[in-house]
Amino acid sequence: MLSFISFWRASAIVLCDLASTAYYIGGIVEQAVGKSAPWFILAVMLFSYTIRAVYMESCSMFVRGGVYKVVKEAMGGTLAKLSASALMFDYALTGPISAVSAGQYLAGLLNTLFPHFRIGWQVDPGWFSVVFAIAATLYFWWENVKGIHESSDKALKIMQMTTVMAVVMLAWCGLTLWLHPAALPPFTLSFSPEGLGWAKGVGWLKPVGAIGITMAFGHSLLAMSGEESLAQVYREIEAPKMKNLEKTGLVIFLYSLLLTSAVSFFAVMIIPDSIRIHQYGDNLLSGLAMSVVGPHWARVLLQAFVVGVGVVILAGASNTSIVGANGVLNRLAEDGILVDWFRHLHPRFGTTHRLINLIVGLQIATILLCRGDVYMLGEAYAFGVIWSFVFKTLSVMVLRFKNREHREFMVPGNIKAGGVEWPIGLTLIFLVLFATALMNLVTKRIATISGSIFTAAFFAVFLFSEHWNESRHAGAHDLREKFNLRPEDDLAHLRGIPRRARRVLVAVRDPSNLRHLHKALDELDSVKTALIVFTSRIRTGLALVEEAVEMDRDEQVLFTKVLEAAEKHGKTITPMLVVSNEPFYAVVQAAQAVSAAEVVCGVSAKFSSEAQLERLAMTWGSLQTDKQPVRFRIIGQGVEHSEDL
Amino acid sequence: MAWFQKEDPAPVPPPKSSAAPKALKISSLLSEDVVLFPPAGIDKTAVFEGLVGAVCRDAGLDSALVLPRVLEREKGISTTLDTGLSLPHARVVGLGEIAAGLAVLKTPIPDPAQSGLPIRVVFLFFSPDKREAFPLHLQLLRGVASLFQPALIERLAASTGPADALALVRQSEG
Repeated sequence: MLSFISFWRASAIVLCDLASTAYYIGGIVEQAVGKSAPWFILAVMLFSYTIRAVYMESCSMFVRGGVYKVVKEAMGGTLAKLSASALMFDYALTGPISAVSAGQYLAGLLNTLFPHFRIGWQVDPGWFSVVFAIAATLYFWWENVKGIHESSDKALKIMQMTTVMAVVMLAWCGLTLWLHPAALPPFTLSFSPEGLGWAKGVGWLKPVGAIGITMAFGHSLLAMSGEESLAQVYREIEAPKMKNLEKTGLVIFLYSLLLTSAVSFFAVMIIPDSIRIHQYGDNLLSGLAMSVVGPHWARVLLQAFVVGVGVVILAGASNTSIVGANGVLNRLAEDGILVDWFRHLHPRFGTTHRLINLIVGLQIATILLCRGDVYMLGEAYAFGVIWSFVFKTLSVMVLRFKNREHREFMVPGNIKAGGVEWPIGLTLIFLVLFATALMNLVTKRIATISGSIFTAAFFAVFLFSEHWNESRHAGAHDLREKFNLRPEDDLAHLRGIPRRARRVLVAVRDPSNLRHLHKALDELDSVKTALIVFTSRIRTGLALVEEAVEMDRDEQVLFTKVLEAAEKHGKTITPMLVVSNEPFYAVVQAAQAVSAAEVVCGVSAKFSSEAQLERLAMTWGSLQTDKQPVRFRIIGQGVEHSEDL
Repeated sequence: MAWFQKEDPAPVPPPKSSAAPKALKISSLLSEDVVLFPPAGIDKTAVFEGLVGAVCRDAGLDSALVLPRVLEREKGISTTLDTGLSLPHARVVGLGEIAAGLAVLKTPIPDPAQSGLPIRVVFLFFSPDKREAFPLHLQLLRGVASLFQPALIERLAASTGPADALALVRQSEG
């Protein structure tokens, strides 16, 4: 069954990535720019509202509107591959930074707890976080190979726990500041040598004014990493898709603005300067928990709670990074950039396990290379984040001129002049991003070196792989989805369909004649009705019993179109393929087996809708064992013939 | 492709088939005059011709006008079912109510349009060619197909004549 999720669940999935940065962003940015870090984190979180708008506009044009797809449509394949390479660098680091940060928090908690239990151990946070991060990554590798069947449930639970933690933490910090007032963080920039990067020796690049602000903004930019997950999750959002995406965008914006900004401010205001970075640089929220008012045991409990939630949400972010990277690589593989070998489905779980192996392999290598250094990961991480945003925004801008079709959502700030709508808002967003990206090239050495090498390596792999693919398949891109067929003995209890839901069976055959499917999807209320999209493979004689349980090319093309239609509408469907010797018998037998209350067919190219209905009626009668009423509908261009029996 | 699982919603009953016409008594459409037992060795078209003639005589229709419509319809989607029932039909302009006839074939005849699928019983009917009569037309197709199951067809093939066949149909219909 292909099903879709509510905006709450979509928000939870994106927030697992986006909100988890609250756990490490404060420490990373302060190490680079000093105590003014919270102001820049707040600025980035406010700016993320505009990035959300860019992603929404791209999703309004493409259901699968990730960076690769949008850049390709706007600026061609080469830049698309380059942007996808930068994005892969982002994903290769999202998982490790989350998992390593979780390990750092856990190590910090253990080191706090051991003396209380008179245990004389001290764990090394670096190596402990490496071991923990590898274990967590391997766990999520296996979960993703099995398929993330219930991941939105898990994400929702994680975010519920995080919300409780955030409320407790913010209230406790508020009480602390009420009892011991503290000044807001200063706005003075104080770059560390590492924070200045190659700009260290350039006299005119003093950390003041617009340049300094841009430098500091660039260091804080990874606070909004995770926005790409919005595009990845869009295809899973239920109808009405764009309205639900708007709600998702608003929820994640408000949530991350409140959580990430507030804890960054509280950390600087509450944790003493002497220990904030020195002791809690990699686990700032633990430091915050241990610095609020209250008895020591209560603060240790708060720390344990913060760490417990942190481990879960950071692990969730690690999972989201695997899911997101898998989605991006799948789009590349579908587009002929990656060789088809990568799209092989796991024989048991039906997942693209080779792509998952590749992603997880990269993530584990990154964890080992960083040796538990969250700052180093954070520094490098910003490269992928900023450049994927730059490419994405530029592409959405270019598409304003290349594709003038109506969009369900447009980034605001458009001025009509000379018969052209000028995207002023988009241009401003692009300029901010581009300036920040250029500045980061100079100031973030680790990001520039590692990001450039990784991106260039991935770009080369994509180029080589595409070339190899084209030479083998004469340039034909295989846009078919991969499907696993699962045999069912009894169609009455199709897996995943609520037993007593109303069932509608839509018969499909010709991928270019799916008007009736779109109409059925348009009318469908997924909560009350299950839509079964059905096709039959007609075989006679021995071929009927010796049929292979694999889809042929035509069926793959057909169900790829069906899948696209379901994604576009955001409505749940259950695809079904039946082997039969006669198409009308197949439709009727399937409809009766699933207790369909309605059967929807497309108009035949050969027969009238009346003749189709007649044949359905007589076949229905000859096979019917009860008197269950049914509605037959024949739908085509300008034709809708509906009859109740 | 199942990524996310929804919770089971509250049970929703299937829609009532309110637009469907009231159940039709199929046996009430037949009389002994329109129940035929064609001889062996005859082909499908000849059976249809004979049955169209009988029904037209009974209903006061001109078979020369109606037969081409039945044969034209046969060129489209097949009206023969796996059960051995053939359901030729036509919608006739000006007809007031449904007229039907039954042919029982002691020796099955092959349907050339269906790769030689054997026909053992032919139920032919005409219905009014009006939009509002189409639901009843479909209802009758479903009802006849549902009634003439292999068990009844076997018993009809063994019946002794029109009266016996008609009694079997009435008995099966209940």
